[in-house]
Amino acid sequence: MARLKSVWVYHVDAGSCNGCDIEVLDVISPYYDLERLGIKVVPNPRHADALLITGPLTRQTRIGIRKAYEAMPPKPRIVVAIGTCASSGGIFYNSYALYNTSPERGRDRLRSGGPEMVVPIDMYIPGCPPSPEEILYGIAQLLGIKEKKMHGEYWKALPPGEEGDGVSFTIPERPLSLRLWITLRDELRRVVGYYDRDAVLDDFMKLLEQAQKDENPRERLHDLVTGYFLKEKDSRVKVAMRFLEETYWSLVDEYGEWGESLRKIGKSART
Amino acid sequence: MAESVSYTEKLKAWNRKEVEKIGEKAPVTTPYPFIDIEKPPEYRGIPHINPEKCVGCGACVNACPPDALIMEWDKEHGVKRLTYNAARCIRCARCIEVCPTGAMEPTTRFEIATNSKEDLVEVVEHRLAYCEECGEYLDFTERQIEYVKNILPKEIFDMYALEDRMKLTQDAKMRVTVEKLRELEGVEYPAYLLAKRGDE
Ligand code: SF4
Ligand code: SF4
Ligand code: SF4
Repeated sequence: MARLKSVWVYHVDAGSCNGCDIEVLDVISPYYDLERLGIKVVPNPRHADALLITGPLTRQTRIGIRKAYEAMPPKPRIVVAIGTCASSGGIFYNSYALYNTSPERGRDRLRSGGPEMVVPIDMYIPGCPPSPEEILYGIAQLLGIKEKKMHGEYWKALPPGEEGDGVSFTIPERPLSLRLWITLRDELRRVVGYYDRDAVLDDFMKLLEQAQKDENPRERLHDLVTGYFLKEKDSRVKVAMRFLEETYWSLVDEYGEWGESLRKIGKSART
Repeated sequence: MAESVSYTEKLKAWNRKEVEKIGEKAPVTTPYPFIDIEKPPEYRGIPHINPEKCVGCGACVNACPPDALIMEWDKEHGVKRLTYNAARCIRCARCIEVCPTGAMEPTTRFEIATNSKEDLVEVVEHRLAYCEECGEYLDFTERQIEYVKNILPKEIFDMYALEDRMKLTQDAKMRVTVEKLRELEGVEYPAYLLAKRGDE
């Protein structure tokens, strides 16, 4: 983009839930200060070099978007799609209210949808809503300040035990059986959210590994968890850790009993 | 006592104020995009599929509200492809929550704006298991079968003779089960005990 003058932008809403609109307001606020990059928001598309579109393109707005696009001066006519909705239709992509003419109704690999149905888009900024830094990054990329960092990936997953052209399969080593790990992880869902869950489970496995070296793992683990409990300030994490300890031992007992009875049946069937 | 750093301390280790990085008298405005910054560890960036761990079960596809994750079936060639497109992803992390292998990984990646949606696509191509009996591909990948083998205790495998029947299609599975049941007619143990008995 030639930068002989500042870039004037016009912001238009294509049926957004207003989450993205508020983030657009945010980037103009003093902390993010989009204007220091020479961007000015103007109230009329006739003055604008760039169009910021938010929203998934409803039937009603498609005419408005088209009109705004045509009203812009023919050069440079840059269109920036802000938000997941504007990039692909987002969470509303298959709604009855949207205008989506893509052949697979938005289920192709590029996930077509949104304003790209009526206007060509120069910069996609996905996010629901994108945080102000994400918008800043997109604009900075258009202005040549930042480089593009994403690139598409295509991996061939190899079946277990195979090596060669592709990615081979690994199940991470853990101090407990896969069955216990999966059950614990699922049970923990009732106590904490996804982010804390994996972090707490990782911490628990470290403690468990230490405890298993001891001759009385039950007591040792109890001590270790208590130590963790005393150090930790976040009460949700404390509760989750205690919950893990209890669930772990009850599962070990339960599975142990099952295993025992299974072995018994197997034995009696054989004799 | 555990030597590990407490969870809250770990989160605090991240330097939350990037303005402090450029000196004592920080301006009100963020220096981004003229410096590189990181997001806090709990920031919801786009998720990422780890192709080493993914088994292609499709749990994430079922959970994903806006269909950012879609499974493409190609039974003729014996593959299914798990496709992810960040342009559709709302970062709800449902996929991370349901993934049974931990292959869906959260990231704090936020610099994802691009001029072409091709850049936002991640594809993992999985090979389907093959049924020798019928010469057809199964709905499962070989990785899925391997994963199940690792989860279920060995006793159950022996008891139901799963090893023999795992890689069969539904039809073949039924046929084999009926045959085995016929063989076992008159045996007083429950009919589901299909295991081969070594010492008989
Ligand atoms: S991307 Fe999300 S926040 Fe933005 S308009 Fe769509 S639903 Fe709202
Ligand atoms: S849920 Fe996890 S293992 Fe299953 S297909 Fe999705 S990423 Fe792969
Ligand atoms: S974070 Fe949500 S929208 Fe994104 S891929 Fe996962 S389930 Fe789908």
